[in-house]
Amino acid sequence: MKGFVGYLLFGLLALLLRTSVFPLFLPPGFCPDLLLVLVIYLGLSENMLRAVLVTLLLGGMQDSFSSTTLGLYIFVYLAILLLVRLLSEQLNLESPPLLVLLMIGGTFVQNFLLVCCLTIFADAGPVVQILLPSLAEQMLANLISASLLLFLVLKIQFLFGNRAGLARLGYQSKRHGI
Amino acid sequence: MRDLIKRYRNLLLAAALLIATLLLYSYNLRQKDATTFFERAVLTLASPFQSVIDNITDGISDGWQHYLWLVDTEKRNDQLEQENSQLHSALQQVEEFRLQNERLRKLLAFVDDLDRPALPAQVIGEDVSSWARTVTIDKGSRAGLRAGLPVVAAEGVVGRIIKAAPNSSRVLLVTDASSAIAAMVQRTRTRGVVRGLGAKMSLDYALRGADIERDDLLVSSGMGGVFPKGLPLGKVSGVERDQYGLFQWVEVSPAVDFSHLEEVLVIVGEDQ
Repeated sequence: MKGFVGYLLFGLLALLLRTSVFPLFLPPGFCPDLLLVLVIYLGLSENMLRAVLVTLLLGGMQDSFSSTTLGLYIFVYLAILLLVRLLSEQLNLESPPLLVLLMIGGTFVQNFLLVCCLTIFADAGPVVQILLPSLAEQMLANLISASLLLFLVLKIQFLFGNRAGLARLGYQSKRHGI
Repeated sequence: MRDLIKRYRNLLLAAALLIATLLLYSYNLRQKDATTFFERAVLTLASPFQSVIDNITDGISDGWQHYLWLVDTEKRNDQLEQENSQLHSALQQVEEFRLQNERLRKLLAFVDDLDRPALPAQVIGEDVSSWARTVTIDKGSRAGLRAGLPVVAAEGVVGRIIKAAPNSSRVLLVTDASSAIAAMVQRTRTRGVVRGLGAKMSLDYALRGADIERDDLLVSSGMGGVFPKGLPLGKVSGVERDQYGLFQWVEVSPAVDFSHLEEVLVIVGEDQ
């Protein structure tokens, strides 16, 4: 339960940073999507049931904070989570660069699913022309933020001797299931 | 069948979840304007945090930009000072145009009242001697001006042209000692001749018994044929009557402020 609330609080903090802090210092395309980082992390390391529940709530929170219809990011994040979980069975999660590569893939999948949903369901106009030019910037921002987060969390957990959570990825990780 | 379900349970669950979320999205798309309970709850929960973060970031950003990050401040300051100076200059020019516009409007109104064709001209120079009272205007014989034409401003009579060059003319002001204009007191119709005294003027040949008071307006009488009748010349600023003598002494302040004269009208035509 503590972990569950912790993830939600981290998600809320990420959203607050995204809405109130990052826009002050970063251009719009370069604002990192910390929730995506969290979803990928959940997909790699967390218990499946908890990961799904947290992802559903995070998606809902993202929908509430953006002008999209409730359900869009819930679907997108859930799809990414399931995809990551599916892939994680085949990957060597002890390699930190893999997380970074997953971020690139996650950003791409996120944008692809957003375009699909908005085009098929919402008829939202030329979303491809809007999302495509900023894709590279978004990937770079997510990559940098994920690398920094990984570095920071590993450092903190190393200092406090705690090898749970993200640090666990560096040692063993494939023990999750629904 | 049960074995099949059991075997692909995870996959089926995942697919069901995805379909459920898509259905949720699709359902909410139809009610775009409605705010769901979940959205309300999230926004209500987040708004105090957002306010706090906003205040903090504002404070930090303010402190950073005003007290710490001052690398470009001097350069920016120089740039702004230069910009300010340019804007100040432009503003002065605009003010100048506004005042000119105001004066020209008055002149135009005056032309309408005058009912005679008139040519606007700009005062471009004053007399170099200390005793003569003349000004130079920027229109001359090429514009159809000639000696003798009356020159007026919105406030009243300025003088008459005494010399006309192709592109400029010299105007003898009514305050010049050699200027004399047939005039009358507007209130009592007492006639006389207004003569220049430098800064002021006098009304000559006003009979001692004539009713003239301070602040009486003097206008051109139309006699002499140079100035149209009824143009303001000045106001009576002093009256002296000797015990003996035929005439009284009347001092007149000119209606036009010659120290601020910039635009004038030269009356070129006859009465319409």
